Order: sequence, then C-alpha cells, then structure tokens
Amino acid sequence: MDWGVMIAGLLTLAIYSFLYKDNPVYKAAESLLIGLSIGYALVIYWQTTLMDILFYPLIRDTKLILIIPLVLGLMMFSRFTRKFSWLSRIPIALMIGAGAGVAIPAMLYARTLKQVSASVQPMIENGNFNISALVVVIGMISTLAYFYFSREHDGVMGKVARLGTYFLMIFFGATFGYTVMSRLSTLIGRVDFLLIDFLHVIQ
Amino acid sequence: MDRLRVRWIIFSSLFIVVVLSYLITLRIETTPSPEVRRAFDYLENLPDSSVVMISFDHEASSLPEIQPITLALLRHAFRRNLRVVGLSLFAEGTAIGYRMLNKTAQEFGRVYGQDYLFLGFKPQHISAILGMGESIRRVFPEDYSGNKLDNLALMKNISNYGDITVVISIADGDRTVQWIEYAGARYKQKIIAGITAAMITTYDPYLGSGQLYSAVGGLKGAAEYENLDGHLGGGNRGMISQTAAHLFIISLIAIGNILYFRNRKGRG
Amino acid sequence: MATRIPLLICLIFGVIMFLQYFSVHPLAKAAYSNILDWWQIIFAFTLLVGAAGFMKNSLKSISFRKETPYKTIALLGLVMMPILALAGGTRIGSPFLWVFENIQAPMQATVFSLLAFFVASASFRGFRARTVPAAILLVAAVIVLIGRVPITELLSSTFPKVTFWIQNYPSMAARRAILIGIGLGSMTTALRVILGIERTYLRGE
Repeated sequence: MDWGVMIAGLLTLAIYSFLYKDNPVYKAAESLLIGLSIGYALVIYWQTTLMDILFYPLIRDTKLILIIPLVLGLMMFSRFTRKFSWLSRIPIALMIGAGAGVAIPAMLYARTLKQVSASVQPMIENGNFNISALVVVIGMISTLAYFYFSREHDGVMGKVARLGTYFLMIFFGATFGYTVMSRLSTLIGRVDFLLIDFLHVIQ
Repeated sequence: MDRLRVRWIIFSSLFIVVVLSYLITLRIETTPSPEVRRAFDYLENLPDSSVVMISFDHEASSLPEIQPITLALLRHAFRRNLRVVGLSLFAEGTAIGYRMLNKTAQEFGRVYGQDYLFLGFKPQHISAILGMGESIRRVFPEDYSGNKLDNLALMKNISNYGDITVVISIADGDRTVQWIEYAGARYKQKIIAGITAAMITTYDPYLGSGQLYSAVGGLKGAAEYENLDGHLGGGNRGMISQTAAHLFIISLIAIGNILYFRNRKGRG
Repeated sequence: MATRIPLLICLIFGVIMFLQYFSVHPLAKAAYSNILDWWQIIFAFTLLVGAAGFMKNSLKSISFRKETPYKTIALLGLVMMPILALAGGTRIGSPFLWVFENIQAPMQATVFSLLAFFVASASFRGFRARTVPAAILLVAAVIVLIGRVPITELLSSTFPKVTFWIQNYPSMAARRAILIGIGLGSMTTALRVILGIERTYLRGE
C-alpha cells in the first residue's frame, strides 16, 4: 500500500468536501496547507538563497561586502518594534529603487516600442490585401482610445472608444474561454489521480 | 428551483461528466497548432548536445495542467540528446521541477552533472534573470544538491545566456513575461513558453511581435506536443474529458441564456 | 530622517540601475552585479519576516482562544517542514519532499481545481447576453471553447481556424493596447518612485 497516495487521496476528498459546504474537515486541511506552504518556502529560501549566496560566501570565502545586505535584511525585522520600525523602509527602498531602475528600459523596449513596431505590418502583401493587419491596427488604436481618459469620449473619439470596447470584449471573451479550459484541465488532472492512482479504477 | 439546489446539480453534473468521459479510453487525433509545431521543430532541429535551460516557474496548484506540458518537453529534449539545465523562479516549482527532471532523465539513462543538472531556486526573479545574463555562477554558486558548479562537467563551458541555446519557461502566471522583458530584451535570449491555457491570451502579443519564439499552451497543447513526439501521456488522456466538459459548459451557457430571455419576455 | 534616508536610497539605487543599462564600464558592471546580489538577499529576508508575522498572529489567536485547532494545525505544519529538512535533507527520497509531494502539492492542486465547479456555476448564472458588448464576449468565449477541443477539428477544420484568427488578431490587438498602456504607466510610475514623488511603499510598517 502506498501511504503517500492514500493520504493524498483522503486530503483531496477533504478539500472537495467544501463543495457540499464549509466544514471542519476542509478547514483543518486548509490550515495544514497554509502551514506547510510557509514552512516549505522557509526551507527553500534558506537553503537556496541565504546559505548559498550570503552565509557561505561571507563565512567561507570572507566576502565582507555581504555584511551590507545582511544588515539591511535584518533591518526588515525592525517592523516588529514601534520605535525603530522606520528602519525597515531602508531595505524596501533599495529593492524598490533597484526594481524601478531596471524596469524603465525593459518597459520602454519590450512593452512599448516592440509592441508598437509589431503592430505596423504591411496592409498589402504580394498584391493581396491583408485584412488581419488592418484589424490589428484598428483594434489597437481603438482600445488605446478607450483607455484615454484625458478627453471626453464624445463625437469621433466616442465612436472610436466604443469600437475599442468591442475589441476588449473579444479579448475578455477569448480569455474567459481559455480560463474555463484551464480550470477544467486542473479538475481533469485531479480526476486522473483519483481514478488511476487512488481508486485504481483505471490501470 | 432554489439557488443552492441548482448549484448542487451543476457541481455534481460536472463531476459526473468528467469522470464518465475519463473512463472512455478512445483517443482522438489532434492536429498540432502552428505554435506547438514551431516549438517542436525548433527543439527537433537543434544540434546534439545543445544546452537548453528549463525554468519551472509555476506553483503546485497548476500541476495537473502543467505536468503533461513539462513531461512532453523534457522527454523531447532528452530524446534529442540535448543537455538540460533546470532551475526554478517559484518556490513550489523547485521541488516539482527537481523531481520531474530527475525522473525523466532516469527514463533516458541520462547522467546528472553531465547531461542535466538542477540549479535550484532564487526568490527575486528579476534579479536572477538579469544576473544570469552576466554570470550563472554568480546567481547559482552551487546547484540544488550543494555541488559547486565548477565541479560539474555540464557547466564547464557555460557562463551566461550566450552559452544557452534557448530558455523554456514553464509558467502558470506572468513569470515568462519577465524572461521576455529582461533576458529576451537585454540579452537577446530566445524564449519558448510552456503555459496554462488561462495565460494564452496574455502571451499572444509577445508571440505576434516575435519576442516569444513559441508557446505550448494548456492540456491541448501538451496533447499536440505528445502526438508530434510520438510519446502519449497525460495530455492525450485528458482530451475526451476536456471535450465533454467544454460541451457541458457551452450547454450551461445556452440554457442560462434561454431561461434569461424567456423570463425577460414573460416580464415584458 | 525616517523618510529622507529611504527616499535618498531609492534615488541612488534607482539611478545606478537605470544608468548601468547604457554602460559597459567595469565599474558599472560591478555595481550592477553587486546590487542584484543584495536585492536577492534582502528579498529572501522578506519571507522570514512574513513567516515571523504569521507565527506572531497565530500565537496571538491561540492565546485569545480564537480558532485554536486550525491555528495550531497551521503552526505545526510550518514547524514540521524545517524539522524534516534538517533531519533528512531535501533530496529525492527525503521526508521533506515526501510531505511536499503527497500532502502539500495534491492539496494545492485540489484547491485550485475547485474553481472549475465555480466557473461552471458562473457560466450558468452570470453569463448573459444582456447587451451588445456582453453578447460579443459570450460569442468569443463560445468560439474558443468549441474551437479548442479535438472533436470539433474532426467535424470541420474551420472551427480551429476561426478560433486562432480571433485569438491572433482582434483579441491580440486589444491585449497589445493594454500592454502598451501598462508599459507606459509602469515607466512613469518607476520614474516617480525613483524621484520620490510616489511614496506609497514607505507606508505600512
């Protein structure tokens, strides 16, 4: 008997009991999941990051510059005191500043320039009219018009913004369809486990 | 009919539809989409011993959908004699990726440290992605098992993205976006995505602009990839249930709308 | 001082990380690599702080006899994983990985799969073609649901073609516009953060 599969199966059914109604069995399973998730993450973070790139280089290789991030990291714990809680802003400011600094060129290139340039496609290819390219340009411009709130959406602007709404609805509809597909796949995966591994209904 | 009763009928009907359809062992051939074919052809045509980096950027919650995609890609990579460097930018993806990589490698008789290795996890994903562009060893001085990278044969001639042919990010969220926007934009690293179906529309603009080379999306994408590779697995097993569940949802939408318009007409 | 020092640090590190993008000077590269390392290390400490906060709140709830059994189970789970890792390591076959594979991962996947039921319920109760935009949304969703199953490919190759066209053109165009908007917004927000105009990250101690 595979105890692991047995426990996994019983816990799966405990979670599914929520579909009937919220109950102590489900709550207990959920609490266990929360605790295990945090404990698991603690181990992984400690082993792969703090030991690997902080304590080993600092102690074994005497890379003394790492005292700076160690002190900054410990400053995060000042959040638990009332008097010195402002100290925790310093390491947060470093992370936020560094993130903002690297984000500017990335956003400009990858999200803005590259996307705009990709939208500019030839309308006529090999003598044929490429309606799809026209749809992309119209869709993009009208959706951007919808999100432009510095001007009243009336007249021509209003009509273009309304067209943008329809393109957005197509996007949301497609996303909903794919999301439904994804959720159903997750359910199918659990049914696979229950039927094959847990109940051995299918070999 | 009261709301709770309707809810109960819907829940139990969905479960019955999925279970009963899963018991049908019929296999429906599925035509590969252009994106899946592109991903497959790329790996298929890589020279022997090319280095592929696979990043397990997902949580355990999406495992039922992501696992068939991951296994299909891993099997293809090992069948093609590609060398695989695994890592994770999600805590839960670490244990999952570590296990799947080792298990699949053993199926093909691959040797750890020579044909594949698992670097481990780093929590700040942007820092890790950018750092590997300069030096993989600086971000991961040791692998997940505690071996120094300098002592591993696979890492002998690998220092940064310049030595990695392609990065395959297997994600259930927007982690792949960071690969595209940082590794792809700054270091011109080629990226292929293995993603859940829910994320497909998120990545379409990147596919359209060429920033993302290709994507294998959802359980259907896994089924298509398995068919191309000739190794059927979880993707194909789920297709009948997927079909039945989709038709069930469509019928629910249709019934809901018919009832709505009928009631509206009655009130009008 | 409590505000000025963090703002100054944000400015310094933000400017360094922005300017290094345009420089290949060894000093710029060294600063870049070191800051990336520090960022990684400090980020790891945030989890420790989060875990400590969770423990503090759970113990407080237990002392007030509020949801005692559930908080106790959560704390036991939290403590169990590091103990297992210390005792048996984290490699294949270890108790740590066994607990992850047979308890944590299955429960996580099952919780997520509950959404399938709620999506089905929402499809029946909420998905109505009340207005023209709602009808367009509904039609697009149904086309995707029909087009992405193998059986419809057997009936006609038109279904997947229509699905892919909708996905790759009109839907993609809207998503692209959203992406461009987000990109522009992110850039301005990043600039505001670096310059100290945006200070929301300084709140919430």
